[in-house]
Amino acid sequence: MLRMDRRFLASFDWVLLFLLVLVCGMAYLNLYSATYPSSGGMPPYLKQGYLLLMGVAGILFIISFDYKELHLWNYPIYVFTIILLALVIFVGNSAGGAQRWINLGFFQLQPSEPAKLMMVISLASYYSRKETVVGYSLQELILPIILMAIPFVLILIQPDLGTALMFVIIFISMTVLAKLRWSTYITLGVSGIVMIVLGWCYVLKPYQKQRVETLFNPAHNAMEEGYQILQSKIAIGSGGLFGKGYMEGTQGHLHFLPERHTDFAFSVWCEEWGFTGSLFFLLVYFFMLIWGLHAAMSAKDRFGLFLAFGVVALIFWQAVINLLMILGFLPVVGVPLPMFSYGGSSLLTTLLGMGILLNVRMRRFQTESTLEGCDG
Amino acid sequence: MWGFRELIKSKFLKELGEISEYDQAGLDSLRRRILSVGLIVLLFMGIIILRLWFLQIHKGEEYKNRADNNRVRIREVAPPRGDILDRHGKELVTNHPSFNVVLVREDSNDVDDLLKRLSVILKEDVSVLWERIRDAESKQRHIPIRLKENLSWDTLAYLETHNKDFPGIRIEVFPSRLYHYGDMAAHIIGYLGEISKSELEKAEDDFYRGGDLVGKMGLEKLRENELRGDKGSDSSEVNARGFEQQLLAHTEPIPGNEVRLTLDINLQQAAEEAMDKDERSGAVVVLEVKTGRLLVLASTPRLHLADFEGGISTKNWNALLDNPKHPLINKAFQAMYPPGSTYKMVTALAGLARGVITRDTTFFCPGHINFGNRDYNCWKKGGHGTVDLHRAISESCDVYFYQVGMRVGVDVLAEYANKLGLGIKTQAEIEHEKAGLIPTKEWKRKAKGVKWQDGETLSLAIGQGFNLVTPLQLCQMTATIANGGKRYLPQLIESVTDADGKVLESFTPKLVGELQADEKKYLGWIRAGMVDVVQGARGTARTVRIPGVTIAGKTGTAQVVRLEQYKHLREEDIPYKYRDHAWFTCYAPAEDPEIAVTVLVEHGLHGGSGAGPVAKAVMQKYFADRIAVEAIKQAVMQ
Repeated sequence: MLRMDRRFLASFDWVLLFLLVLVCGMAYLNLYSATYPSSGGMPPYLKQGYLLLMGVAGILFIISFDYKELHLWNYPIYVFTIILLALVIFVGNSAGGAQRWINLGFFQLQPSEPAKLMMVISLASYYSRKETVVGYSLQELILPIILMAIPFVLILIQPDLGTALMFVIIFISMTVLAKLRWSTYITLGVSGIVMIVLGWCYVLKPYQKQRVETLFNPAHNAMEEGYQILQSKIAIGSGGLFGKGYMEGTQGHLHFLPERHTDFAFSVWCEEWGFTGSLFFLLVYFFMLIWGLHAAMSAKDRFGLFLAFGVVALIFWQAVINLLMILGFLPVVGVPLPMFSYGGSSLLTTLLGMGILLNVRMRRFQTESTLEGCDG
Repeated sequence: MWGFRELIKSKFLKELGEISEYDQAGLDSLRRRILSVGLIVLLFMGIIILRLWFLQIHKGEEYKNRADNNRVRIREVAPPRGDILDRHGKELVTNHPSFNVVLVREDSNDVDDLLKRLSVILKEDVSVLWERIRDAESKQRHIPIRLKENLSWDTLAYLETHNKDFPGIRIEVFPSRLYHYGDMAAHIIGYLGEISKSELEKAEDDFYRGGDLVGKMGLEKLRENELRGDKGSDSSEVNARGFEQQLLAHTEPIPGNEVRLTLDINLQQAAEEAMDKDERSGAVVVLEVKTGRLLVLASTPRLHLADFEGGISTKNWNALLDNPKHPLINKAFQAMYPPGSTYKMVTALAGLARGVITRDTTFFCPGHINFGNRDYNCWKKGGHGTVDLHRAISESCDVYFYQVGMRVGVDVLAEYANKLGLGIKTQAEIEHEKAGLIPTKEWKRKAKGVKWQDGETLSLAIGQGFNLVTPLQLCQMTATIANGGKRYLPQLIESVTDADGKVLESFTPKLVGELQADEKKYLGWIRAGMVDVVQGARGTARTVRIPGVTIAGKTGTAQVVRLEQYKHLREEDIPYKYRDHAWFTCYAPAEDPEIAVTVLVEHGLHGGSGAGPVAKAVMQKYFADRIAVEAIKQAVMQ
């Protein structure tokens, strides 16, 4: 199955791999501090070690075949993921009032995470099939909207607003890239606003509304939602220029910071490494994203381009939402910082996405190795 | 597996075929679009970095402080309050550990059930416990709320052994006041209570927190700043749940200063116990004649200090308010009484100083005197006959002093009353002191709006009428007469010593007034009369005599009402509240006075019989050694 000719190996993107290793290394370092001392059970840093090994295996698996295979497997993957999402509602484990996980024994799978990647593959597959010069009409968007709406609704009723919105954001990102007609933009824009208004009035649960409301006045409701944002800002701000030193952060270690190894992991990093450390991390992280866009541009075909772009968009938007959240610009929605926040499903999904990027990059030159050549 | 793949492949072959054929131009347009997406990525990166700079560099210091405030909790350590001693160093009030039950709501999941079970053990109604919690509702959940103070050993032992059954309940050790002499001098010592909201707002420094105990009355209140000491503190690092992680700094509390009083607790006890006989209501004041030290300052009925600890109950409070003997009032200086015949010393001094009389001037007392169509009676209906100053004082002849008063006038009487400290506050370190009332012509015009009647001067001259004095003032007057005209400030504090033994304040006599030299010489004649009040064959207080000690004094009867309907009654049959007040004021030894004793017994009828025995008991205690020596002498001589 691993049929990689020399050419692929020569065109392997070592820069992307290096950036990936650098980010994962910083994340691992931070996780150790954020979860120290761990309370019983398997220490998170050990768990994260296993997950990283699984991720490496996943990347190797992904790059072993031509990314075009994904085009072929698109529908089975889609159906399988939707089944998982539906399953969560019936047999899922709940935590904090939301049912998001399926217990696999060794691993708590959060199907909404791989579903994000599935969404990218499905949309890439659809837009690569349908070429357009003047942009898509509304009719042409009906299928992708349905493709997006099914997981969106399934995740919304878990309920997990943050993740559900990611599907809309990925959809918008990839669709806008694919180009729409102006009439389509306007129709979608207006109906989108109507949906938001209706959603606010009828769909959002009170705690979700409160999250949005406290964004505008965090100190007012200091003991509830605003507390988290406030503590995050205190942690980040108190880091100063050079930080309090590794393992020396007080906000994180004294448990003032909530979710300090998951959603608010970067706050811990900012507190301990200061402005210099956080600037370094951001430059590396965003350079990785830019490099990912570069990978998308260098794709040899439409499918590869959409696939790579979708993966970058997925990582980028999650990162931006997470960062703006911990910096106090957005409400607390459970969106992790990909590869940095602790969470197996998210990490594996992101690493698989990075595998797709590497795959597209590796096969950026026109070769004889078409789908047919891969066969046998 | 590969078979399945073939199946899928054949199914989507048509679409797959389309992928390989790309319009290079379309791909290039997509690439250009991605390039502009790169700008969006950079824009967001810029926003995030700017925000980080704002939080970490621009506001870094501010957030650093907030982080410290977040994690450092300062817990106060209550200092032991200063001890209160008597003049001989006997401990009156010290501290002892009080064991209190406190509730930490954070650690208790079912407060309702907990309180129900706890109320049985504490023998306290559930509503009372809930009340305590409601009072502290606004406090954070990890701050302990006191449910009950001063646990008994049995309760304490039970709670300690069953602590697992009462989650959130802890035992707190708190320094509490221990009164070694029970309620002796209760009015003067005072008591502690939880600081009130208004007291918290009024406090000049930020020493106090809600729930602190402060002096509410007496010296505990007046000397609060010295007795309270300085709080210590434990600064500890806490986590977000409020649990302490480690101690960062510790400051020892500084114990309050030790306050030594001028009071002699044995003498105080003797005075109060003498008052307790026949349940006398009134006051006893003992001053050291040559210094102004207050040796006894007693008021009965006494307050029961234990009732006040931790807040007095409404029931007890109402009982105090309704008590006809007014235990809440310190009768030594917060109540005023007509001085009665004890005022005759003032009239005598005024008459002598103004030359109206000399020692040898005599008046005839037929038992009454007619003035302005009205008869003014002497207490002795048959009359004293011809009396001079000496007999007038020792036998308390009213007619003699009517004559003197008539001649000097109301304003001169007032002048000498003031010189002896009557009608003005003594300025002693006491609360709510009354100034008394010494009327003048001007006073009456202003206060009553009518002209002074000369007949009123007659009543005034024997201490009736508008005159009002406090027992403390009268004692000061007696001491002034005894020491030859020096009026000393009555003082309560012997010394104040801090925790290191450094003396911060020590007693020095303070002269607040002195008679002129020519006035002083008349005092000797007055004193001679006072000696015969006790020692003379016809003195009005012969029962007070003590072998071995010469006592000089003066009795007084202060009329409460002058009602015709009671005139024919025997004294014992007059209702209690209409009976006359009894005064006795004296000093001893007459040859070289050491102490002045003033006793007021409310509705005690006669000075000699009502108040005299109390003064005698105090003297007997004070002169116990000399009396014993005298007794031995007598025995030897026989």
